Amino acid sequence: MARHKFAVIALAVIALGSGFWQLLDLVGAFNRGVDFGVPAFETRFEQFRPTIKPHSIFGYTSDNPPNDPSYLSEYYLTQYTLAPAIVKPDTNEELVVMNFHSERPDQAAMRAMNLVPVQTYGHGVMLCRHASR
Amino acid sequence: MTLVILALVWLMGIAAVRLAMPAPFRWSLQNGLVLSAGAGVGIGIAASLYFVVLALAGPNLIVLASVEAAALVVLVPLAWFVKPRPTELVIAPGPATPGYLTALFLAAAAIATISFLVAYQTKPHGEWDAWSIWNLRARFLFRAGELWKDAFSSQIPWSHPDYPLLVPAIVAMCWTLARGETTTAPGIVAFLFTFAAAGTLIATIGILRGKTQSFLAGILVLGSASFILIGSDQYADIPLSFYILASLAVLCLEDRYPGDLRFSILAGITAGLAAWTKNEGQLFVLALIAARFLALFLYTDRSGVARRLLSLAAGLVPPLAVVVFFKLRFAPPNDLMSTPPRQIMAHLLDFGRWITVLEGILIALLRVGGFLIPIVLFLALYWYLVRFKVEPSDRVSIATVVLAVGLMLVGDFAVYILFPNDVAWQVNTSVERLLLQVWPAALLVFFLAANIPQLVAAPQHHEKGKAKRSRK
Repeated sequence: MARHKFAVIALAVIALGSGFWQLLDLVGAFNRGVDFGVPAFETRFEQFRPTIKPHSIFGYTSDNPPNDPSYLSEYYLTQYTLAPAIVKPDTNEELVVMNFHSERPDQAAMRAMNLVPVQTYGHGVMLCRHASR
Repeated sequence: MTLVILALVWLMGIAAVRLAMPAPFRWSLQNGLVLSAGAGVGIGIAASLYFVVLALAGPNLIVLASVEAAALVVLVPLAWFVKPRPTELVIAPGPATPGYLTALFLAAAAIATISFLVAYQTKPHGEWDAWSIWNLRARFLFRAGELWKDAFSSQIPWSHPDYPLLVPAIVAMCWTLARGETTTAPGIVAFLFTFAAAGTLIATIGILRGKTQSFLAGILVLGSASFILIGSDQYADIPLSFYILASLAVLCLEDRYPGDLRFSILAGITAGLAAWTKNEGQLFVLALIAARFLALFLYTDRSGVARRLLSLAAGLVPPLAVVVFFKLRFAPPNDLMSTPPRQIMAHLLDFGRWITVLEGILIALLRVGGFLIPIVLFLALYWYLVRFKVEPSDRVSIATVVLAVGLMLVGDFAVYILFPNDVAWQVNTSVERLLLQVWPAALLVFFLAANIPQLVAAPQHHEKGKAKRSRK
């Protein structure tokens, strides 16, 4: 019976300890607050979203380095925020969403990508037209 | 409004499950199982109806509300008046359960519930896969109106537009009926699936092996930190784990109470809903059919094998019909399955891929459940201390679960070896979740096979002792 008691109590302690440890982590994260993620993106794009027409397809560019994980995650968040528009991760579309982290995007970079500003929506969000299309 | 809609969906599921295992209207473990399984079954039925209505009638609120209400109006009276089973599924007899085990179980349930709610409050839209796949698709279905087929656009292949729609469909259905988007809908759906899986496991083990085993299984599944976290992250792996568990649990009940083919039909429905949840669910359907056939062939007198398999198939047909309709009519080709045969052969012969996959699976096995120490190692110690005791009547059940889970893992392994180009990335980003899909089913079979621990001295020993002393 002692073997059984040890097995059961140890199993329960491991399970409860693991659950409680995670709860502490979660409470810590909750108390720190969320400064990145979907709600932040919804705010960034709140002026742009109502202007989207049905069946729209946009290109996408950002000032994040393309090999940086934040480039991909911000692109996915942009698609999630702007759905049901389709956002493609390149600048080959006629209209391109610029997701920059400064109010004044790099003009030289825009020229290099053949992008002409159409409308600015604040928070570094800008809609551009591809000059060669 | 979302709460009311999902409560009605749950009621529909309770009615559907009650038709398979009717019990008198009072608190019982059987009704606890009906409540738990009903959550997932109701969501599956409602999501399937939503998609069929959308495909056939477009985004029409009145048609959708009428069809969902009709399903409820048909199922609830049927379930109300169905004759209860002659044998009620009651808690299996066993040694006494000490009070501290009950307290530990309640503590695990409380910690899991609070953890889920805190995680949801921190990330109400869920984690990466939730907003890049499942809730994204729900937004397309809800926001795009007549252009809802944009949800399956091959222009955004990274969002896996071929993935089955159960989770996005139920979320979009809630938004459509409530006429507004909230994070409450995916949050409650995720909560229901996570705790329905725990409830189904606890109730099934209670019926088959008694209170002590059911509390131990409950403590372990509710203490699985990553199971609760992935659930709150709104990933579809936890809904899939629910359907895998429910299918196998119901088949185990059929083995204990043979002759009632309603169990097989219900198992077929839940397995079909697994296929409607994730592509891995389609693999599970194949694994389940093969496992059931083998288990019945090996461990029964084979007289009723065809009847039981046909009942399973009868349950599978409706949800699989929805999956086939979606795959043939709307879904673009799957990215992994589009790999050219020559490349598949090259992958197969690449020894490095085998090592990468094996290494990934072994590491994930040590991490499964997100416990502070590798739980598989501790379960091996637990087995050494408590030992297994497989009753002859449980052999077919245990064989079914072991074979189904084993075949599913073999299938997952084969997919890793044969298809993805970047196998290391694929393994790193998915293997732990693949193991979580079968984690509740693995706990089901572990506690079905494990000996029931003796935690309280048997009263008759005291009586014998007293008798001896009085004789002296």
